[in-house]
Amino acid sequence: MKKTWRWPLAGFVLGGLVGATFLTVNVVGASSPAPAGVTGSSFGEILHTPPLLAHAGEAVELRYDVVCGQVKDEPGGACTPKGSVFVRASGASEFVEQPLEREPDGLLSAEVPTGHGGFDYYAELDNGRGETATLPEAAAAAPEHVWPLATWTTVDLGSEQFGETRPPSSIVSELTWGKGSQALGLDSGQEQSRIGPSAFDVAPDGSIVVLDQVNHRLLTLQPGGATAQVPIDFAGGEGDLAVGGDGKIYVLDAGGSQPVVRSFSPAGDLIAGTPLAETTADMVRVGPDGPLVHAYPSEMWLPTGPGRPPLAPEQQLAGAQAARSVDGGLAVVVSASPAEARFALVRGGEVVHSWLVRSPTSLGEVQLAEPFGDGLLVVVRLWNESQAQFRVLRLAPDELAGTFAVDRTEWAETASVSRFRLRGSTLYQLRSAPSGVEIATFEIGGTR
Amino acid sequence: MTSRRKLLRFVPGLVGGLTLVLLALGAPAAAYHTNFTANCNNWWLNSGPVTRYEARSYAYVAAGEGYQWGGGCWNNNNLDDSPGDPPRDPNTRGEGPDCSGFTFKTWFERSETTDPWFRYHYWQQNVHGPYTAADFKNGAGAANTTWPKASTFYMDAFASTYHIGMIYWANTSYNQDRIIEAKCEACGTGTWPRTYRGNPDYSGVRRLYWQ
Repeated sequence: MKKTWRWPLAGFVLGGLVGATFLTVNVVGASSPAPAGVTGSSFGEILHTPPLLAHAGEAVELRYDVVCGQVKDEPGGACTPKGSVFVRASGASEFVEQPLEREPDGLLSAEVPTGHGGFDYYAELDNGRGETATLPEAAAAAPEHVWPLATWTTVDLGSEQFGETRPPSSIVSELTWGKGSQALGLDSGQEQSRIGPSAFDVAPDGSIVVLDQVNHRLLTLQPGGATAQVPIDFAGGEGDLAVGGDGKIYVLDAGGSQPVVRSFSPAGDLIAGTPLAETTADMVRVGPDGPLVHAYPSEMWLPTGPGRPPLAPEQQLAGAQAARSVDGGLAVVVSASPAEARFALVRGGEVVHSWLVRSPTSLGEVQLAEPFGDGLLVVVRLWNESQAQFRVLRLAPDELAGTFAVDRTEWAETASVSRFRLRGSTLYQLRSAPSGVEIATFEIGGTR
Repeated sequence: MTSRRKLLRFVPGLVGGLTLVLLALGAPAAAYHTNFTANCNNWWLNSGPVTRYEARSYAYVAAGEGYQWGGGCWNNNNLDDSPGDPPRDPNTRGEGPDCSGFTFKTWFERSETTDPWFRYHYWQQNVHGPYTAADFKNGAGAANTTWPKASTFYMDAFASTYHIGMIYWANTSYNQDRIIEAKCEACGTGTWPRTYRGNPDYSGVRRLYWQ
């Protein structure tokens, strides 16, 4: 070999070694997956839908299931849970244990008399593997509650006439799909959901704040047409958003195994963030004392605190409530099924007004239930196998004061119950199509 | 040869060697940046019918793990071991199933589409199965059929042409369904309240022959 090649060749070899070392350290070493076959030992999860509203004097059935999860990667995974509910009639001081019985369908259940004052309850379950858990987690310190319905207003909607929908009063904003200042992110592809902006809300100044989580930002649509962007941390795929009367913005990041709630100033500066005490959540709303998050498996509303420091998980559990607190010392309670949706305005343990909404057409999810005048404004889906639309109900204390249908226009997914918001007497709807997103409004005063 | 001349000959070689190695090895390594599936396997065993309950327990293990388009391999550490993979790229070799692969494994289905019987797929068996979400929506395969949404039961599924999720717990207080699903790269796999039941894009699907 000629001597003139020695030094270039030495450099080449050394460069190659440096490159290989760099890749080994930064790519392979950093990405080694967790060791295979790690076995879990957690309790699993208690499943339960709280009945919340029951006819006074009748018994209500509390039903539970337990998902144990597999401990080992092998066929099986069954467990034999057992346990009790602990019930305290309203006004009583002590909880009374009542064993849960196994039903033919495998669920555990107990019949509890509602009485005329309602009751508090919690469950304590053993998963059959020597592990126990309570639901709600704070047990007697913050139990579930059932309110008794002595009188109520029945609203029979009749069969839904699909296609007879009210056009919007206005379209306040139209945006395309994308990343620009007049666009919102769309996460779509084969074998996955079509996910658009998760949620929105209306600020006190009339601006509309959109959770554009695909682009990791808040997009504010100002009344004059200008837009403003605030980059935010957002780890999951979807979440929810609410704006308080003081303009503070609360964002629920519902992805992954640990939801997080972050608060922002009206200008978009991060105030605080806190992990949620429960593993799943779908809604954040603003109550009189700050943000409230609807969490699972308890289905209770957890306070996360309006400022800094936020409430820690144990404080959230201790402050959990079955009803969602609203202004005036009232709270909203929703308990819906495909055949009947029950709504109530309550004050403590007392039912102020209640409504039973029925239809021979299947009822879907309750998208919105907000105080409106002396009653509630409700948006509920009605559906059959091939059609669906939303129905807006203005529930006055003793009657259905008005109703109209709204086209669903839901090409892309939002958070599951975040398509509507109410400000004053204007109902806002987040609508999507292949061409983009629009915010539509409906004036409630003219309901028929 | 002076030191300066040696250096002038050494440096181009150093740059050339470094560039060649980074280009030759770095690009594919970055494309497969977590290479989670390197520890996956192809282990399975045939079984008789299982219960919906067992299927839900099996699915629960995947909650908190990742999402990978075309994938089917996960562990149970409640962590997405390949976060932030570029979406819609099956070559990223990340952790997790996609929606249809998750349903296939959770429903203990067999790859032979005419065979409706049951097969246990190990968590880290990297298998997707033969069905897309649209196939499930149409009831494709001897094990599957369409089913009225109003009559569905837990571990039945709601499927559209682009997504499928299984009922984990039906009818919440707001009348949603808690769905267990492999949702998207940013979402991972988990349980979330959804409104698929009332959305006409989605049809009811049932795995047949549960115990």
